[in-house]
Amino acid sequence: MSAISVRNLSKRFVTRQKAPGLAGSLRALVRPETREVEAVRGISFEMEPGELLGFIGPNGAGKSTTIKILTGILHPSGGEASVLGHVPWRERRALAYKIGTVFGQRPQLWYHLPALDTFYLFGKIYELDDALVRARVRLLAEAFEIEDLLATPVRKLSLGQRMRCEVAASLLHQPRLLLLDEPSIGLDVVAKQRIRDTIRRMSEQEGVGVLLTSHDAGDIEALCRRVIIVNHGQIVYQDKVSALKRAHLTTKLVEVRYAEALPDDFAVPGAELLKAGRYGAKLRFDTRTTPAEALVARLAAMGGLVDITITDPSLEEVIRAIYEAQAPVEVAA
Amino acid sequence: MIGRKLAKYGAVFTTQLQSAAAYPLDLAARSLSIVLFMVVFFGLWRATFAAQGATSIAGLSLRDTLWYLMLAETIVLSRPRMAQQIAAQVRDGSIAYLLNKPYSFLLYQAAFSLGDSALRMLFNGLAGGAVVWLLVGPPPAIWGLPLVLVAMALGWMIDFCVAALLGLTAFFSEEVTAFEWIYNKLLFLLGGLLIPLDFFPEWLQRVAKALPFAAAIYGPARLFVSPSISAFAGLLAIQVGWICGLGLLVALAYRQGTAHLSINGG
Repeated sequence: MSAISVRNLSKRFVTRQKAPGLAGSLRALVRPETREVEAVRGISFEMEPGELLGFIGPNGAGKSTTIKILTGILHPSGGEASVLGHVPWRERRALAYKIGTVFGQRPQLWYHLPALDTFYLFGKIYELDDALVRARVRLLAEAFEIEDLLATPVRKLSLGQRMRCEVAASLLHQPRLLLLDEPSIGLDVVAKQRIRDTIRRMSEQEGVGVLLTSHDAGDIEALCRRVIIVNHGQIVYQDKVSALKRAHLTTKLVEVRYAEALPDDFAVPGAELLKAGRYGAKLRFDTRTTPAEALVARLAAMGGLVDITITDPSLEEVIRAIYEAQAPVEVAA
Repeated sequence: MIGRKLAKYGAVFTTQLQSAAAYPLDLAARSLSIVLFMVVFFGLWRATFAAQGATSIAGLSLRDTLWYLMLAETIVLSRPRMAQQIAAQVRDGSIAYLLNKPYSFLLYQAAFSLGDSALRMLFNGLAGGAVVWLLVGPPPAIWGLPLVLVAMALGWMIDFCVAALLGLTAFFSEEVTAFEWIYNKLLFLLGGLLIPLDFFPEWLQRVAKALPFAAAIYGPARLFVSPSISAFAGLLAIQVGWICGLGLLVALAYRQGTAHLSINGG
């Protein structure tokens, strides 16, 4: 059985519109104008138990709305969903025992109290034995390296420290599925890497599935095998991360270094020169028109080739190319 | 099993109690306002009694009136601040966390609000009681205190139901300030905060006493100054009636609200 099964899920919001200025406010008072926004439009996908699935898209693509429907907080306008065998919006409480959630922009730890107090409160809320709570706190504190932070009031923690505590708290009741909504938002590179590593390790150790939304491709690349890309409320791509790269990474970057200085008119047929130095150059080529073998042969034929590196563009660039290929869809009025 | 279900609300209550106690100086400073109110009321009512040339008005002496107002103020200053709280949670999206835990959202809010109210009630009661004692002497009767505490608890529940109803309107409109303003004014006038309802004309007294505003404030405060079993029983019936009616409304509003909820952010 799938951990998550979603069919034709849609969500429409009605938002109030108001022209700018006082006149606009008065007009809105007399004749309020509303606009219907389709945040999610007929999304379908499956997620296997224990899978690490990335849900990626630009701001306003419908990622968080989908997560909130899957946790039972929002009722969808149409479609079906089953999460660990529950219809989330009908069986919210039963589902809550089996899932953990982190909404990166919102704190769930009690702000004025040490994180440990929230851990013990969650222990009661999830109806866990005190001995189990103590054991879990020990295990999670070690895994997330937060032993020294648990007694400090949450308001005194840095964002990176707080997020490690937040994710640890969401794993206290041994959920079978973790829904992480932008867990790395606002974190620096080191803190991001740290939290990603721990999430991956915990997922492997405890067999917990992770559905992760992010607008940071780095999160997906570091954590997920499979990715779903959403834009304008629709799925525009879903496959393995490696397949995404293969399918869309026909463009490669080549960096070369020669023993002798390059001529002023250095050029390689079939490749675009991005940067040229005294001994080295950076080029871009498309494997559909110029096979790597042919390009390497041309570069070698120039003589004195000391070093060559061929790399893929970052996932970030690949995803940007996918978004750009999707023309914006008119929003229903 | 049921013990565990209830224990979670107890844990929410004690956690919020700890959170509220995180700033004891702030709590103490806040209770200064009741001290100020009581000093002002003392001056005002002493002048009123002197102008009337009476030792009692509508059956209440100056001492009764001051102790009555002290308890009424304590109740009002310690009310659940839930309406604004829920509205803020809907606006900033943090409601998402409160709705995805395995508990009843309304009981969670009740436990949280009680934790929030309890310390304020203690500090306000102690500070207000101390100053009134200094100004007019000890309270007229102490034996009714257990009954008063029960009536205060039930009154708190009525107030909680109304605050929850106001808060839940945020699921539809996000903004609750206007409704809350109206409710506060009704509490002020018909709840007996401005003056004891006994000073109202007979017909208005009868109407006001049957309303939830008086059941939350006037009822317990009046019982404190002249406790009697029959007054307690009468109040209890009105309070339980309102709790049942309003509780039902809150449950209905919650069901409707969650289906309508749209969350900001993300």
